Amino acid sequence: MSAPLTRRSVLGTFGCACCLGAVGAAQARIPPRSMKPLIGPGHRPTAKDELGMWQQYERVEQEIAGSNLLLEDAGLASYLGGLAERVGGPAAKDLRVYIARIPEFNAFMAPTGFMVVFTGLLLRMRDEAQLSGVIAHEGGHFLRRHQIRMWRDMKRKTAALNFLAMGAGVGGAAGGFYAGELVQLAQFGTILSLLSYSRELESEADAIGLLQISEAGYDPAAMPETWQQLIEELDASAAVRRKRRRRNYSLLETHPAPETRMVDLRTSAREVTTARTTERGRDRYLRALGGHRRTLLDDQVKLNDPGAAHYIIRNLAKDGWNGLLRYYEGEVWRLKGGPGDSVMAGRNYAAAIAYPDAPPEAWRAHGYQLLKDGRREEGKAALARYLVLAPRAPDAAMVRHLAGQ
Amino acid sequence: MGRGRLVVLLSAASLALCACVQTRQIADVEFEPPQGDYSLIVMRPDVTVGLVTAGGLVEPRADWTEKARANLLKALAEQQAGRGGRTRILETRGGIPGVDEQEVADLERLHAAVGQSIALHKYLGAELPTKRRRGIDWTLGEEAVKFGRATGMDYALFLHAEDSFASTGRVALQVLGIAGCFVGFCAPQGGGGQSAYASLVDLRTGEVAWFNVLQTQSMMPGIGFGDIRTPDGAAQMVERLLGRMKAGRHVRARR
Repeated sequence: MSAPLTRRSVLGTFGCACCLGAVGAAQARIPPRSMKPLIGPGHRPTAKDELGMWQQYERVEQEIAGSNLLLEDAGLASYLGGLAERVGGPAAKDLRVYIARIPEFNAFMAPTGFMVVFTGLLLRMRDEAQLSGVIAHEGGHFLRRHQIRMWRDMKRKTAALNFLAMGAGVGGAAGGFYAGELVQLAQFGTILSLLSYSRELESEADAIGLLQISEAGYDPAAMPETWQQLIEELDASAAVRRKRRRRNYSLLETHPAPETRMVDLRTSAREVTTARTTERGRDRYLRALGGHRRTLLDDQVKLNDPGAAHYIIRNLAKDGWNGLLRYYEGEVWRLKGGPGDSVMAGRNYAAAIAYPDAPPEAWRAHGYQLLKDGRREEGKAALARYLVLAPRAPDAAMVRHLAGQ
Repeated sequence: MGRGRLVVLLSAASLALCACVQTRQIADVEFEPPQGDYSLIVMRPDVTVGLVTAGGLVEPRADWTEKARANLLKALAEQQAGRGGRTRILETRGGIPGVDEQEVADLERLHAAVGQSIALHKYLGAELPTKRRRGIDWTLGEEAVKFGRATGMDYALFLHAEDSFASTGRVALQVLGIAGCFVGFCAPQGGGGQSAYASLVDLRTGEVAWFNVLQTQSMMPGIGFGDIRTPDGAAQMVERLLGRMKAGRHVRARR
């Protein structure tokens, strides 16, 4: 009866090794300079698994390229393509960027070299350096061949687990013991181990992304800033709802915690900062974004997440308030609709119209607010101004009536 | 000894249950299978062939997929020609002169949504009281009719097919799982298998006229139900999927 005992101990060891592997790896920071690209220019798959993966993703790309969620703006798309080229390292000529109109802070990279950037991400970026950081992170997944490495890791670990489970079952039946609990432990270990690998790859992408933007001359501090912004935004969003920000067990996450990423990126940024890495490119970014910032603000404000919206607007306003930001700050207050919020909205509308770039809607909102406050003549004048700026607005007839015209 | 034999018998029975071919077609109540002089356009057929890894993941294989796709399309065109139909394969969305790529994409997306709804309410058990005993009662509407007029086609066929084959490691596990039955630990493992669906849209009315789902699964190592990488296997799948099209319930009742 020594055989079952041996098997049992082997099983136990395996299960624990997996757990420890995951627990022990509170993922050390990866120094950016240790990250070398694993592919050269014009990378094409040769192994069978990678060829299959590419073929699948070609169809995905067709789907995305023809999707009606794409933001139709060739100029902005080519601007983002240009950034990808600048921070893409050896893959500079191979990266494609699609912009999806989804008001969420996200982007993803396909194994074949195309990435999808969500408009919610574009809204949150203060300048080109921040945006390049995200693009370089995504490009980093491609440079380090993350999808195929992840797939191979998964193949290896699930196969090991299956053989182990089968061996334990058959061996247990033959030897007369029950190994189910140990198999469950091994299963859990496998899951933890897969997640741990996923987080490791995310850290790799952060590290190589940081290296790429600093080599392109951008200020590497922009990357940890992005994470700081995200943390602060989540906190702000939760605070308005009188909640705490959801903090998950990092063991069960595919990505490292934002705090970890921010802290690691800060340390790494110091390593790669030189006298040459100073570029922020804010003006260029704003020019490329053009009128979209307004649409993106509109999408965000309508998400009914006043905490996040306030944070995003105020974060952008660190570079200076303007009519657009003031108007949407007012909109957030108005839509929030709590006691006293309409006063705050009114103040922001009044501030918005003082800027030359105030959108016509700011005049309308200001006018309505004045009418509510009983300042009829001033209100009518503001509405008249709205009609001058937006004579063909869909609500022009109604506003004309209110303005007494 | 007696107990052991019982286990083997039981497990053999359960294995037999696990190895099967299933199809289930549902038609519009007024559906007449296309016959005679008709034309059919196959909308960017979606075929994937992969390898089942030891861990049970399916890894797509580009070479197998291409071979299977070519075989399936050839078998399909031959089958339709046997009924008098002319088949045209749409390879890319921009493949029809005079029809905008975006319109094809819209139609595909519309069909994907409708197809999901059919799968949910007709195959996965979430039955709708309003659609009970009414066959396939879904339509792609004007858009499909417009597409039919622009292409001059009578029917559109949406085809999705998957096939997979067990890797050596998977086969070893399958053998172990069955061998285990002899010591009382029966754990048959799924090997390769096929799953496919075909959806026929009548472009003259815009309605989804007929829908079929095919599934094959085997837990016995070495036993499969066709291999669409070969011309014969592909013809077999086409036959199972589209061979015996039944007319709609009302049509059959009138006969």
